[in-house]
Amino acid sequence: MSEDVAIDVKAEMLRGAQSLATAPPPNTKRGVTSDLSIDEALLLHSAGWEPVDLVCGVSVASVPFGVWNWGQGEIGVASAAHNAAVQGAAERLKEECAKVHGHGVVGVRIGVEVRNHHIDVDLVGTAVRPVDGGSTPALPFVSDLSARDFTLLKGAGWMPAGLAFGASFVYAPRRSAGAALQQKTQNIELTNFTQAMYAARESAMERMQRSALEVGGHGVVGVKVTEGPMSFARHAVGFTAWGTTVKLVADVHRNIEPQVILPLDDAVVMFAAQNLRGK
Amino acid sequence: MSQSSAELPEAAVRRFSSGAFSSGLTVPDFAACLQLGLEPVGLVQGFCVMQWGWYGAGSSFMRGSNPYTMGAQSDGAYSESYRCPHGYVSAEHRMWGQNLEQPWVEAAWSAGYGAAYARMLDEATALGAHGVIGVVDRVTPVADSQTSEFHFLGTAVTVEDGPPPAAGVPWTTYLAGQRLTKSIEAGFMPVAVVASMASVRVWAYCITEYQMEGGRGWGNTNQTGEVEQVIRAHMAVRQLARKHVRQKLVGDALHGVQIDVEKRELAQGDEVIDCTIRGNRVRRFKDFDVVPSPRPTVRLS
Repeated sequence: MSEDVAIDVKAEMLRGAQSLATAPPPNTKRGVTSDLSIDEALLLHSAGWEPVDLVCGVSVASVPFGVWNWGQGEIGVASAAHNAAVQGAAERLKEECAKVHGHGVVGVRIGVEVRNHHIDVDLVGTAVRPVDGGSTPALPFVSDLSARDFTLLKGAGWMPAGLAFGASFVYAPRRSAGAALQQKTQNIELTNFTQAMYAARESAMERMQRSALEVGGHGVVGVKVTEGPMSFARHAVGFTAWGTTVKLVADVHRNIEPQVILPLDDAVVMFAAQNLRGK
Repeated sequence: MSQSSAELPEAAVRRFSSGAFSSGLTVPDFAACLQLGLEPVGLVQGFCVMQWGWYGAGSSFMRGSNPYTMGAQSDGAYSESYRCPHGYVSAEHRMWGQNLEQPWVEAAWSAGYGAAYARMLDEATALGAHGVIGVVDRVTPVADSQTSEFHFLGTAVTVEDGPPPAAGVPWTTYLAGQRLTKSIEAGFMPVAVVASMASVRVWAYCITEYQMEGGRGWGNTNQTGEVEQVIRAHMAVRQLARKHVRQKLVGDALHGVQIDVEKRELAQGDEVIDCTIRGNRVRRFKDFDVVPSPRPTVRLS
């Protein structure tokens, strides 16, 4: 497919239809399965990689009774459960990837559900490998970057190294009955909650960064965070952070040097009542 | 109605012979369709409402549900048993547990999905179509959890100067418009939309029950840990769904896969996990050169 030659799509369609006009010979080859869009699959090919198979990893970790409601400081057992669930799911995802001789998994969708008594983690993605094969790495990478981001990253001389994850759950200490009554009619910051959020944030971010260093990463991109009080425990707050660990595999970072473009097709100007007021 | 009824409703025959086509395509998709040499001939649909059998006590489907009292699981189906490590504790103590694939649920789903799909193809065939593009399928529970409605909808098309497909069965795809065009450009011809479903029932044994309710039961410490039985059920249902869908590929590839997992919790640790997978089965009809590396751009507006 050359850049300069326009493809006659009508002729290609006809060719495709002709290929289905006769029954195909028996085929026992293992077909590729992938949740990538056609754009992503083509982009991956342009970077010399191809999809291999759809892979999954799941974990459910138990959280003992009563840990959410009373105590001080970090709810260590819940944080440990969360991190164990993520690690367990990622390990299973890697196992499935290695079974199909994938070099890594891209576009991983991460589902995390924190419940009172268990934490569920569900990972789904597409195992990929270089088109020219090569030996399967001992440890496939896992990345929640899309195939587009993966291609861009690779072009800049970087590669994903793994999923970085950190979570922390912390008690927000209860105020004394007297303090609660006294503050009832005041506009006042609840510093117990604010401090708990900061504590959870620091622990979770530190864990995420440590998990990145453990796989030899130089940094984490695309960090997403969730934070807030637990819906089932009024005095517990949680903070989770995850992203893709990346490492520089080229000698130096390669500038991708994007071309600046100025589209000449004006965006459609929609009528908006606020325009009448000069806004 | 048979799974694939060759006789269409009288109103449908009348509508199809009216001369004007109908289509579910958007205007851009319609334009891309014409550019590909595809001519829309009609909006085709297929329906099926399916109920699957009761499997309580006395049902022939009860087999395998208790490793101590019942027979084995259906041949080739997934089943794992878990035995209580404590011995007799009380009548309420869950002395056994099992992860059990539910082939009858999968069979009902496949029958409903297959019947609705076949009926859509019947309509397309009656129109002399070569393929159906922009397929939308929907599975909706009806009345209670054991009945589902399957609905297929798509735009039947003919390929300009194209031959009819093998055995006269139209090809189908979820794609339309630019995405279909790019797929064809890349050398992937749609063969069929394919889907499969797997269902696993989890009967928790005592340890799983303790873990899922956060309890400190017999032999269960106040520590966190992975819940092995539930994890194995979740992994199994995903693997089974992928295995089932792979059986329909016959060496072709499956693109744009969508995987959906639905779990219904019945009690602590007891749950039913259903996994459905659908995607576009495609066949490579030409080798294609790798597209050149795209040029990164930054828009000024």
